[in-house]
Amino acid sequence: MATERRLEYARPESLDELFGLLRAHPDARLLAGGTDLLVRLRKGADLPSMVVDLKRVAEVRHDIARIGGFIRIGARAVITDVVGDKSLRERFPALVEAALVVGSVQIRNRATIAGNICNASPAADTAPALVAYDASVNLIGPEGSRALPLEQFFIGPGRTMLATGEIVASIDLPLPDGRTGSAFGRLTRRHGVDLAIVSLCCVTHDSGTARFGFGAVGPRPFAVNTRWDAPLEDMRGHASPISDLRAGAEYRIAMLPVLTRRTLNTALDRMRHAHTSP
Amino acid sequence: MPIIGSSLSRLGAVERVTGAQQYAADIRLDNALQVKLVSLQCAHARIRAIETAEAARVPGVRGIFTAEDLPQPVPRFGPVVADRPLLAEGETRFSGEPVAVVVADTHDAAAAAARLVRVDFAELPAVLTVASALDPNAPLVQDPAKRARDPLARTNILQQWQFGWGQVDSAKATLVVENDYAFPMVTHFAIEPHAFLAAPDANGVVVWSPTQHPYVLQRVVASALTLPIARVRVIAPDPGGGFGGKGWPKFEPLMAWLALTLNRPVRLVLTLEETFQAARRASARIHARTGFTGEGRIVFQDLEADFLLGAYADIGARVVSKASYSACGPYRAEHARIVARALLSHTTPSTAFRGFGTPQASWAVESQLNEAAAALGIDPVEIRRRNLPEKGEAFNPHDTPADGEWTTALTKAAAAVHWDSPLAPNRGRGISLGLKSSSTASRSIAIVRLHFDGSASVLCGTSDMGQGARTVLVQIAAQELGIEPDRIAIVMGDTSVVPFDSSTSASRSTVFMGNAVIDACASVKAQVRQIVEATPGASRDMPYADLLAAHFGPPRGEVIGIGEAGNRYEPGHPLGGRAAFWELMCAACEVEVDPETGEVTVHTLALASDVGKALNPHQVEAQDEGAAVMGLGHTLMEQLVLGADGRILNLGSLDYRIPSIKDVPLELHSALIENADGPGPYGSKGAGEGGTLAVAAAIGAAVNHAAGVTIRDLPLTPEKIWMARNANRRLGD
Amino acid sequence: MTIVLTVNGSPRTVECKPHHSLLEVLRERLSLTGTKECCDEGECGACTVLLNGRAVDACLVLAVECEGETVQTIEGLAENGRLDPLQQAFVETGAVQCGFCIPGMIVAARYLLSTNPHPSEDEIKEGLAGNLCRCAGYSRIVSAVSLAAERGQGQRQD
Repeated sequence: MATERRLEYARPESLDELFGLLRAHPDARLLAGGTDLLVRLRKGADLPSMVVDLKRVAEVRHDIARIGGFIRIGARAVITDVVGDKSLRERFPALVEAALVVGSVQIRNRATIAGNICNASPAADTAPALVAYDASVNLIGPEGSRALPLEQFFIGPGRTMLATGEIVASIDLPLPDGRTGSAFGRLTRRHGVDLAIVSLCCVTHDSGTARFGFGAVGPRPFAVNTRWDAPLEDMRGHASPISDLRAGAEYRIAMLPVLTRRTLNTALDRMRHAHTSP
Repeated sequence: MPIIGSSLSRLGAVERVTGAQQYAADIRLDNALQVKLVSLQCAHARIRAIETAEAARVPGVRGIFTAEDLPQPVPRFGPVVADRPLLAEGETRFSGEPVAVVVADTHDAAAAAARLVRVDFAELPAVLTVASALDPNAPLVQDPAKRARDPLARTNILQQWQFGWGQVDSAKATLVVENDYAFPMVTHFAIEPHAFLAAPDANGVVVWSPTQHPYVLQRVVASALTLPIARVRVIAPDPGGGFGGKGWPKFEPLMAWLALTLNRPVRLVLTLEETFQAARRASARIHARTGFTGEGRIVFQDLEADFLLGAYADIGARVVSKASYSACGPYRAEHARIVARALLSHTTPSTAFRGFGTPQASWAVESQLNEAAAALGIDPVEIRRRNLPEKGEAFNPHDTPADGEWTTALTKAAAAVHWDSPLAPNRGRGISLGLKSSSTASRSIAIVRLHFDGSASVLCGTSDMGQGARTVLVQIAAQELGIEPDRIAIVMGDTSVVPFDSSTSASRSTVFMGNAVIDACASVKAQVRQIVEATPGASRDMPYADLLAAHFGPPRGEVIGIGEAGNRYEPGHPLGGRAAFWELMCAACEVEVDPETGEVTVHTLALASDVGKALNPHQVEAQDEGAAVMGLGHTLMEQLVLGADGRILNLGSLDYRIPSIKDVPLELHSALIENADGPGPYGSKGAGEGGTLAVAAAIGAAVNHAAGVTIRDLPLTPEKIWMARNANRRLGD
Repeated sequence: MTIVLTVNGSPRTVECKPHHSLLEVLRERLSLTGTKECCDEGECGACTVLLNGRAVDACLVLAVECEGETVQTIEGLAENGRLDPLQQAFVETGAVQCGFCIPGMIVAARYLLSTNPHPSEDEIKEGLAGNLCRCAGYSRIVSAVSLAAERGQGQRQD
């Protein structure tokens, strides 16, 4: 019999409960901030039987904390908290810059960094910064936990290394030794809130290395390791952008050297003015 | 404190800031059924079969209707030509045209059932561009049999016109500038999507719609359902933005039919995506050939304009004829020829949109002037000054003469952007005028009721969609009657209460409804004078309350005045009448273009409007600024993108970008020129459309200068600018 | 499902389905039609409400997520029918035209001032970047927020 749409909602309070639900409902979608999921549900792009809300799972943290040589961002941390966190602002300013362009204040009050990366849009704003900072992602599932470099976590548009029943528990940002500088840059169609046509982040180290993270110019965010004390490599060879509603491939490719140069210069400038980390 | 010219606090503002204001989608009717439309996602299709059985089994569904269920022949409607069926009959003509309609107890049930309606259809080739509309081998959008007696019936030309004067072909010019211009397909994107309700009532049917023209809607619904006008009541809540997109009927006739057929109230709230599919501006390609003397005086304007309408006429032909008629702008020209065509296509029906065709024409004509200025080494301000008519001069031999000191607008706007100061690198300045013909033939009637206690009510059919009509009309009544504004009520938007008004469009309401209100107040005052004469012991300076108490005595009563204003219908005139007044705005700007990325920053945008008299200056400025930002939209970022199948690819707010708060000019100045030389109350004219007319060519000239490019099709996106610069550089290598 | 949440200071019990957004429930079940529906995908801000004191797009929140939470809508701002300084400022500066974007705009501004009582013009624009308006040039909206800030809106407790 034809019926109205059926969607169940569960709000587990422990990881065990969560894993049990995911096992029983393999097509369930995880809900944290909901800013991507609800749009897909509404448009009918996703018609799962169940939505599992992560926000009460005790073991999934919402804070941002220093753990040894890392700053760990809990999977439930919303972007507003990332933007406001003192340690992130000091040590990972380009991530904060990237986070600030994710949607609007309303979106940032709900969206999580973890959700942003799990959604795996090639144009996800925080991904280039996380990748440039060499972030790793901590996954947890019924079989246990594992860590992956973030660059390996992305497979393609909308696809990640998450196994069925697995969730992101946290994202780790390694604190660098020595003096670094970083900058985030992107291009959009209008000055207001928009998806990126090209986005990138550059992290320079006073040892001479420069690591770039790129977004929206390939099926997934990716990193390029190079040196800033040598002639700048042409990044266009690394990118494979598509032409879509937002921009043509030719324009995207052409903007790479421009934005690369600009973010590199800003990163170097910041590095020169930075203090060495303790 | 004088009421006229004071920025009296907007009536309705308090309700809006508290969330109390009731828009159409906020109205709750007892017992209402929810409606959902079913449409195909391609532009042109033959419908083979519609399967509704499975959908009908969704609990709560009360009916699913297709064209077969409607009265036969299927009722058609339209404000000028009744060409549009209530539901697609055999064939769909645009993506979003409903083929079926579901009615259910709840929105969830209606939506679920709508998803289950199966349409067996064959996609057909679609006409989506000006070129294909003009192609004699292209499929016909409309059935020639339904365009009987129309010599153009076997084409996709809905209508064509030729206007002009003099002898263009033998005119001699030192410089001829000839170019093609393109104006994009854009949509209104009012923040309120469309919503409609209908219910049977004792007299016939009531329709709720945020329509800008309640009386147009009334007659179109009545005609579609073959009901007498007297039995159709339209209730028009204040629109949450109209801009022309809520002017002309869309799904109301269908809703009225459903209400009568089901004998229940029905409610339809469109999504934003459905709203995009329901209304848009006509896009245009204009071939402009302009001849100048060596001093920059216009010898001739030779324009060929093709406007791409949608699948049904709506008010599209009028948009083209009106805009073409005054396409030459506020300039003298010895000779002029304007050939214009309104073309049908398998797209969303184009309708009225702020500027009504003139933004498209201005983009071309003003850009021509800017180019001529550059070629002749004449300042763009100066070239316009040399061509502007004097006040009272007939610049278009067949129409209303210039009715303002238009040079003032030019001077003010130029000064506000420091026109003559040196420019920093990567920057450019531009200037443009924009001229729009207001109302031609129209009529407004107002009723003013002076109550027993000396308070008053104004009843009128104007729609307040944000421009502040309520406030201004109350100000006028307050001034005329000598009553405090807070003792005057204003009633709008109910055809069973307020008298006839042609429309709220063409920037006409301050002038025409304003004059009607003055006329009604004059009638009240005349009756009051008679009462004074007839009442022993009465005097002219008695408060109304005392006078009326003395006159009416215990049974009480009221004094009613009816006022009317309009401009005469002239059967011989191509537009049915001459412009009641001209709306003129000048826009000047300074922009910066990032040479490496093409990104545009508008540093300064200055506007100067010739308004006659600003009855409420804040409201006029707010409208001018809003129009200018809307103009920035079609200039820099807005464009509906169609797929090969005619679907709108950027349907919705994610990929159809309108200016946000971060996209406004860093400085925005607006000046109002008030010479009390308009035909409206206290010398006022209309305003509110100018920004959409003048911004594009000003920004275009500035961008082209700053970036070293020549782009003649809007919008000027960073990518387009970059591509043009890059093409130049490659050529230069 | 039945959920209990606090709306504008009062506990409310609501029947809804899991797929219903907070926006739908506010408008259809609680008859709080002050919060508007426009894009339904978090791009326009017309549906902005405060959820536990933070501005969010109600169309992107499932109603069921709000079990036990606190929601404040435009209807909850005026105390005892008196306009708060933001509402007053919007009226005074002429920031209101058609008004459809205004409830979302005011709630977003309220949130901005609660976190930043004296914002610069750029900060105001950042704070309202998620609220679209089609009528205005936005400038009077910015003025209204500045004016309200001057008058101490940000010091009020939510």
